[in-house]
Amino acid sequence: MKRSKRFEKLEQMPINKDGFSYEWVDVGLVAMESPNDPKPSIRIENGRIVEMDGKERKDFDSLDRFIADYGINVAEAERSMSIDSLEIARMLVDIHVSRQEIVKICSGCTPAKLVEVINHLNVVEMMMAQMKMRARKTPANQAHATNLDDNPVLIAADAAEEALRGFAEVETTCALARYAPFNAIALMLGAQTGKAGVLNQCSMEEATELELGMRGFTSYAETLSVYGTETVLIDGGDTAYSKAFLASAYASRGIKIRFTSGTGSEVLMGNAEQKSMLYLEVRCLYLTKACGVQGIQNGSINAIPLVAALPNGFRAIAAENLIASMLNIEVAAGNDTAFTHSDFRRGVKLAMQFMPGTDYITSGYGGIPNLDNVFAGSNEDCDDYDDWYVLQRDMKVDGGIKPIREEEAIAVRNKAARVCQTVFRYLGLPEITDEEVEAATYAYCYKDMPPRNKAEDMKAATDMMKRGITGFDIVKGLYENGFEDVAERIMNMLKQRVIGDYLHTSSVLDENFRVKSAINDQNDYMGPGTGYRLSDERWAELKEKFNALKPQDV
Amino acid sequence: MTNEYESNITVTDLDTAQPGTSADEVVIAVSPAFGTKIKKSIIDIGLDKILKELCAGIEEEGMKYRFIKVYNSTDLAIIASQGSKLSGSGICVGLQSRGTTVIHQRDLVPLDNLELFPQSPLYDEKIYRKIGKNAAKYAKGENPEPVEILNDYMVPSKYLVKSTLLHFKEGEMMDKTKKAVNVDIQF
Repeated sequence: MKRSKRFEKLEQMPINKDGFSYEWVDVGLVAMESPNDPKPSIRIENGRIVEMDGKERKDFDSLDRFIADYGINVAEAERSMSIDSLEIARMLVDIHVSRQEIVKICSGCTPAKLVEVINHLNVVEMMMAQMKMRARKTPANQAHATNLDDNPVLIAADAAEEALRGFAEVETTCALARYAPFNAIALMLGAQTGKAGVLNQCSMEEATELELGMRGFTSYAETLSVYGTETVLIDGGDTAYSKAFLASAYASRGIKIRFTSGTGSEVLMGNAEQKSMLYLEVRCLYLTKACGVQGIQNGSINAIPLVAALPNGFRAIAAENLIASMLNIEVAAGNDTAFTHSDFRRGVKLAMQFMPGTDYITSGYGGIPNLDNVFAGSNEDCDDYDDWYVLQRDMKVDGGIKPIREEEAIAVRNKAARVCQTVFRYLGLPEITDEEVEAATYAYCYKDMPPRNKAEDMKAATDMMKRGITGFDIVKGLYENGFEDVAERIMNMLKQRVIGDYLHTSSVLDENFRVKSAINDQNDYMGPGTGYRLSDERWAELKEKFNALKPQDV
Repeated sequence: MTNEYESNITVTDLDTAQPGTSADEVVIAVSPAFGTKIKKSIIDIGLDKILKELCAGIEEEGMKYRFIKVYNSTDLAIIASQGSKLSGSGICVGLQSRGTTVIHQRDLVPLDNLELFPQSPLYDEKIYRKIGKNAAKYAKGENPEPVEILNDYMVPSKYLVKSTLLHFKEGEMMDKTKKAVNVDIQF
């Protein structure tokens, strides 16, 4: 065939480097509306659910049973299930129906019922509903800080800059698992240097992650994965009960957590029971609620290249975020994984959460270049900051972060690197040189850092854990060595777990350590003039464009 | 060129694998479809070539290797964790058919590891040799400098669909009731 020059050019476009797939129901490669998704039903006898979504109690698997016993409000169930799904779908976009009213109805719905409700919505309706349904009125954002060399000085500097930009949470992980204690500490030091009250986590294997929290090196955890089929959950070495137990281990120490799930994960793990990705994800959300956990990180997360390869991919992802909000749990809404070669496509994906706002619009934003992202790359990275800011300015939307000046970033990065140097010296860890501090202050990525002896670092990290070092040792080290301000901030973060207020749904801390959550900052959107509106002060921050033309310049 | 390459590998199941007694042994634990249903990695490197490099790396450090195949899981963490418990030195290299690799140690929980190589499309033969060498060094009780980390954030958008299909193939060969076996691998 003689080729069309236009088609030849199209073939070369970034979008055509992405992988795409037809639907394949037999293995669960279907984002929404699998013919095998159950139809909603409920039967209650003596206050107990004896039939759910077409299945008798005797046929329940362990997830069904856990959800039926702990995830559904039996007192509301008969009324909720009797309302036509289309009517509930319309309530979601009706400004005269309050969030509270819908939350109450949803509390009595089964998983299949909420899937049926959401299947009635198109994406604009989902965005409209998301604006109303997210738990916390004020939107926020989360950032990643990692690097390929696990360089702790660079992590501290990056976290400080992210905190200054306004991220409410920062997250790290490791290229090499044995670096975990260093990465966690560096992240905490950087975050508190940048801005007081920023929450920090280190995503690791579950036992390590819990220990880091108990030591006071992290202030929340997110890598507690749940799956929507019994087989996959058990393959991961878990049951609903073991997850609930892990959740309570964190709660017993006053540490905030959320679970992680997302469409497509069951297919990736090889067992989707021929159900749609969305239906299985909704089971995860019910499981989260049934475990008494306040929130979820979802939005497909790692599986997004697979979900986005299918028809209805973005729509399914917007739906899973929305259903989390309908179940009255915090949602950290994904947008944290690179899934496309096309800038056009990744921008439009982001818009679906960016414009309505979620508790955390991303989970998280790569505050580092994607080449340094050990979570395998985010949908947005540090090269995209100005795009993000301009979009906030273009649309008067609060995406959770604000423009900062270069000199402010340099100052705070330098201080964080020195704080990290001081703590390493105090704890007898391998030296952080002045040369490293200088490099981290101005670095773009790991390549700008002098190499460290990794084998020695990891040995010291293991040894530090054996010595029983905790967050208090760090407070002491900073206080005695000229960083009373940062010491006090870390002390305040440790106090939060005794106070416990930040265990409420959708909590973030402001720079005075005051909790803002779904309790005291409840989303009250009911149409124009209500809900979250930018204050003049916030708008002044967001519309700042340092290189914009000023009338007096002309 | 690589697409034309026919992998020359045969895998034969032997007896149920027992814990090794020799301290100079590194176990190479492979996934259910390894070398039978799947003979090439996700980027069409022959699995024979990958094994050649891993084994050479181990031998260069004066250590021995033993192959086992895990049937009751397709999860690399579980495969390698089982391998490390069977390994005389306590060190195991876990290898999925698509090329994803991990170095595991007996006293670690399954999802922990010494070194993980999660982005299979990025690894060439040279990396597998280094992985073999480092595994042998851990087995000798050394604390080696880890193999360099490679990262390409566009890998999932290119390969996740293919990787999922390969995982289904692994799943077809999984047998929940079957214990890990010693395998003879000719390559």
